[in-house]
Amino acid sequence: MKMSLFKYYEEMQGEGVILYFNGPVSQHMVESIAGLMRTKMRAEDTGMGSVQRVFAVLVEQMQNIVRYSSEQRTDSPERLGEMAHGQVVVGREKDGRFFVACGNRILADDSRSLASHLQLLQGMSKEELKAYYKEQRKLQGSGTFKGAGLGFVEMARKASCPLDYDIVPVDASTSFFSMKVVTQ
Amino acid sequence: MRKYQVQATSSSPYINFDPDKMFFEIRGESYPENCWAFYSPMFDWFREFLGGINGAPVEIDMEIIYFNSSSSKTFMDFFEMLDEHASAGKNIVVNWRYHEENESAMECGEEFMEDVDTIRFNLVEYNDTVAA
Repeated sequence: MKMSLFKYYEEMQGEGVILYFNGPVSQHMVESIAGLMRTKMRAEDTGMGSVQRVFAVLVEQMQNIVRYSSEQRTDSPERLGEMAHGQVVVGREKDGRFFVACGNRILADDSRSLASHLQLLQGMSKEELKAYYKEQRKLQGSGTFKGAGLGFVEMARKASCPLDYDIVPVDASTSFFSMKVVTQ
Repeated sequence: MRKYQVQATSSSPYINFDPDKMFFEIRGESYPENCWAFYSPMFDWFREFLGGINGAPVEIDMEIIYFNSSSSKTFMDFFEMLDEHASAGKNIVVNWRYHEENESAMECGEEFMEDVDTIRFNLVEYNDTVAA
């Protein structure tokens, strides 16, 4: 067998990975994967708070991928019918905290505004995040990043440390965005 | 006016608005793919309903196990709409129901309560021993 999955398996075991998904993402996948993790964590007697935080971050991250992709299709009719594609990883840190990470391709043009939005959140305390969340929630047609703004704030509030993200150029028009949220 | 009823799915709640019995409830999970498309008929129905009643008190039970950030924004819009009608003299109560172990639902309820003005917003905790 040319493609040995054992290599990936061992690597992920070492990283504490519980779930790894790479492929087309739809609302149906969001419900399935988040629901599956919730069932598994409950079965393992994980505290309700942890279960809810992992579930919530998974939903926000995966729905961001779906929403971002559908916006791309609306903007460029030649991409109609294309499905969202992304990566999702759930795992545990060495100290036992759960993490949720997601990755997907974005337009290189969107990199800067996305990064500045995330940097803004990284600099905020929990109290500031709460105030910002409530302020954004009351705004009509808020000026946050592509409608995903409140989702990022929500994740930052559920995280035990500032949101960790990475944007890597793929080609002239595309970048790869990934983000890891370590939950409380 | 006719009843407004929507069955629950894994990502959207059961909605039951019964104007004859004056009974209104939203119950379940809320993270539909397109939040606005899901809730906008509910907004339309409620706006029309509130326009047609006089002093009758309106009590809405909301028991949401989990909701995503788009739903959070939509619920805030809903409470603001109710606030406007309450300012114009309607008697409106929202009962935000949550299980005693669902800390997240409780905190979310508190944050909504801090942000509404004229409607009465009650936090109602329940547990397994008292059947709802």
